[in-house]
Amino acid sequence: MRQAARRLLEENTVNLVIGYAWGTLPLRTAPFFARTPAEADRLVYNSLCENNLVKYLLRYSKEKLGLVVKGCDARSLVVLLRENQVQRDRVHIIGVPCTGVIDRRKVMELVDGQEVTGAEVTVEGIVVRGEGFEKDIKTDEVLCVSCRGCKYGTPVLYDTLVGEEVRAREENFGDIRAFEALPPSEREAYFAQEMAKCIRCYACRNVCPLCYCTECFVDSSRPQWLSRRPATADNFFFHLGRAYHLAGRCVDCGACARACPVGVDLMKLNRKLIKDAKDLFGYEAGLDPGQPSLLSTFDPNDPERFILGG
Amino acid sequence: MKNPYLPLPMRIEKITVETGDKSLKTFSLGFVREEDQRRFSFVPGQFAEVGIFGKGEAPFGIASSPMDTTRVEFTVYKVPGGTVTTALHEACVGYVVGMRGPYGNGFPLGAMQGCDILIIGGGFAFTTLRSLVNYMLHSDNRARFGRIQIIYGAREPGLLLYKEELAEWQQRNDLALTLTVDRCTPADGWTGCVGVVPKVLQEARPPAANTYTVVCGPPVMIRFTLPVLQELGFGPERILLSLEMKMKCGIGVCGRCNIGHKYVCKDGPVFSLAELSQLPSEY
Amino acid sequence: MIIRKAAVAKFLDGLLKEYAVYIPRRREGYSEYTPLDPGSGYFWQGLNTQKPPKELLFPHGETLYSYRLRSDGVELRTHFDEEKRVLFGIRPCDAKGFCYLDRVFTRQDYQDVYYQTRRNNTVLIGLACLAPTTTCFCTSLGGGPFDTEGLDLLWVDLGERYAVRVLAPKGEALIKGRPEFVPAGEADWQAVRELEGGALGKMAPVLDLSGLKKRLDENYSDSVWDRVFEKCIGCAACTYLCPTCHCFDLSYEVEGSQGLCVRTWDSCAFPLFTLHASGHNPRPTGKERFRQRVMHKFRYFVENWGVMSCVGCGRCIIHCPVNLDIRDVLRQIIAGVSA
Repeated sequence: MRQAARRLLEENTVNLVIGYAWGTLPLRTAPFFARTPAEADRLVYNSLCENNLVKYLLRYSKEKLGLVVKGCDARSLVVLLRENQVQRDRVHIIGVPCTGVIDRRKVMELVDGQEVTGAEVTVEGIVVRGEGFEKDIKTDEVLCVSCRGCKYGTPVLYDTLVGEEVRAREENFGDIRAFEALPPSEREAYFAQEMAKCIRCYACRNVCPLCYCTECFVDSSRPQWLSRRPATADNFFFHLGRAYHLAGRCVDCGACARACPVGVDLMKLNRKLIKDAKDLFGYEAGLDPGQPSLLSTFDPNDPERFILGG
Repeated sequence: MKNPYLPLPMRIEKITVETGDKSLKTFSLGFVREEDQRRFSFVPGQFAEVGIFGKGEAPFGIASSPMDTTRVEFTVYKVPGGTVTTALHEACVGYVVGMRGPYGNGFPLGAMQGCDILIIGGGFAFTTLRSLVNYMLHSDNRARFGRIQIIYGAREPGLLLYKEELAEWQQRNDLALTLTVDRCTPADGWTGCVGVVPKVLQEARPPAANTYTVVCGPPVMIRFTLPVLQELGFGPERILLSLEMKMKCGIGVCGRCNIGHKYVCKDGPVFSLAELSQLPSEY
Repeated sequence: MIIRKAAVAKFLDGLLKEYAVYIPRRREGYSEYTPLDPGSGYFWQGLNTQKPPKELLFPHGETLYSYRLRSDGVELRTHFDEEKRVLFGIRPCDAKGFCYLDRVFTRQDYQDVYYQTRRNNTVLIGLACLAPTTTCFCTSLGGGPFDTEGLDLLWVDLGERYAVRVLAPKGEALIKGRPEFVPAGEADWQAVRELEGGALGKMAPVLDLSGLKKRLDENYSDSVWDRVFEKCIGCAACTYLCPTCHCFDLSYEVEGSQGLCVRTWDSCAFPLFTLHASGHNPRPTGKERFRQRVMHKFRYFVENWGVMSCVGCGRCIIHCPVNLDIRDVLRQIIAGVSA
């Protein structure tokens, strides 16, 4: 990783590499902007690299960039290419095959909400320490829900691949199937509980590479679509609106759910729509920039189950 | 405890279309409740939050004179896409709007007393300047100020505000008024100056001694006017500017209109050039 | 005073006759202040809550007044929240946060009658912090795990009992004549002092902020701002979870010819916060917006009020989606280099 980034900067192939460096807290890495070969030596990659750096591409219109992407991140970049938001020749994609990202909140749950003061990434997982405890956790126990059935750990698009390709996992929508099987009242109660937590800080929207509208519908004042106060119904309206806007585009990177400071379970909505796109239309977003987008194509053979008798 | 967020109901009593393109209207508001009228007082340069219930509020400098206690006037430019200004422009005489204020510091009348006053205005930023001029011209106040000179410019003749009043002022012998336009066509029948405000100012060469200057206008006018004033010897302590910022509360609490540690709504909107030079240039 | 832990539930239940009681609660991996469950005596004593108790005095969304348009004008009605409240178990850092809100909302030319009403009706019972975390830096900002500023009572966990320090008349009135309390002895206060020493010993080394204000006075145009904000994604997690951030928006919720004027939290991180209707924005990019956040807390607030408006609770550090650590930012600013 460091070598690759260093070379790109030294040879002036790019003038900025956006990757990850160790953060200031255990369990945390942070987006890092390397402009010199020396800075490139601070780059790291591991299962704690939870941000999707493709978001930052949209901010830099002048620099030639090197960008570190995991498998899912690469797919979101493909969607941006498909939607003409990014010029391919402006970015040198440093792909990293990914075996899954650790969900900090699951780790916190396993240590019963105590503070983790030290963490060490190992081959099989992670060792966490705090006052009076040390715990060896296998990666699979604390994987993000999106990673458990990830088929595209190896980026679908890259200029440089750092590391060995990884095996595709078996598609796993078990969480969504189980949720679909619940009676409507229980599903409603679950969403009410999750949506009540939302503080409308818009971290989910702001970290999402595919949320690039110049004016988000929640910010519009003419008309003002929803109340500015974080009432459960308005929060739900925001998240539903966002999810539907991402339908057929969301690549299940899970960055929004990890960014949420209050832990709203956003992937229930996003993954339901991903699963529907797959089940109904056989569609998976972000595999090929030439692929037409799901909601802008019409096929007479599309299933119309949503229409009564369809 | 007075509730600073609760607007006074005000009835639109008169609407004057100020400019040929109808983008500027002056709203004359009367108090719905008599007690509000008794309590309301302000100084020129202060502003109020004027709101259409259900649409929103926006800050506008008070354009009428404080000597007229029966009504409060605001001249409003219809901002393309602006929620509040559009709604105001659609309102009719008789409609009830909300008004909170007055807010801000206003012009430092105490310090300005006994001095000559030079007023430089551009475009539709002339509103609080009109309030100031009418205040100074009032028979109770005129003797407290020295020579009054006004240079007021607009892009074209049709865009000058308060045309009737300007004509009256031109008849007076206790003030010198220069009107100028950037451009005009023969059809305008314009007989005044042609030229941008900084150029007119340079040619007029008003004396700087014992003079307060008040400058309100579009950013580009201000940018080119300030060097001319400096060249003419006006000190930054006596050059006054009135700033515009996005505001909500009007009382220095909601946090968006600050420039450095000063809140434009509470500590301004009037600042001397000397004060502004101490603040970050974030406006 | 002293109260046995076994008597706490009874004491809290007793308060319910007159007050609504709010306690820190953790459930489903999420913690915030919520109403007490009568009879349970439960309150979360672990890490500080994810969401601060700020919203109990300054709600995320509140109605300021309602209006009804009539043919002859408008009818206005104000809404004040006059619930009498006890906030139980709040941390000294969060209590100190209220003191900052007090300055902004009640010590200026205009009194914020909505905030003031809630503040007058609220009693703050603090719980001393025995186990500060690695993200706590209250001692760098003049606070401490046993700090009493803003509190009416401070409770200290002595194992089987709590020692209770009475700090203000409102606190005294709350426990006066209550049979659950007995006078504390010198040994109890000695134990409190020892626990305080222990808690202070667990605090991370104090961040030396003595040169910070002077640096900020000088570095407005410094290149440090070009880099320090770079990973910020412009969300409001830090501002909304901050006990001292007070910025807000006013808007209407309309239903036909009537509606509500509501006040909601707003954030300097959002571009719309300062965007003029004309399209001009004095803080056009993340750089200016992040600089505003830092400048407001550590320079402008100092100029207006003589103190930095940060209590060192660490929430913005823990919950930032991109680990933009304010301690790190302040260190870089003091050092005057971008890293």
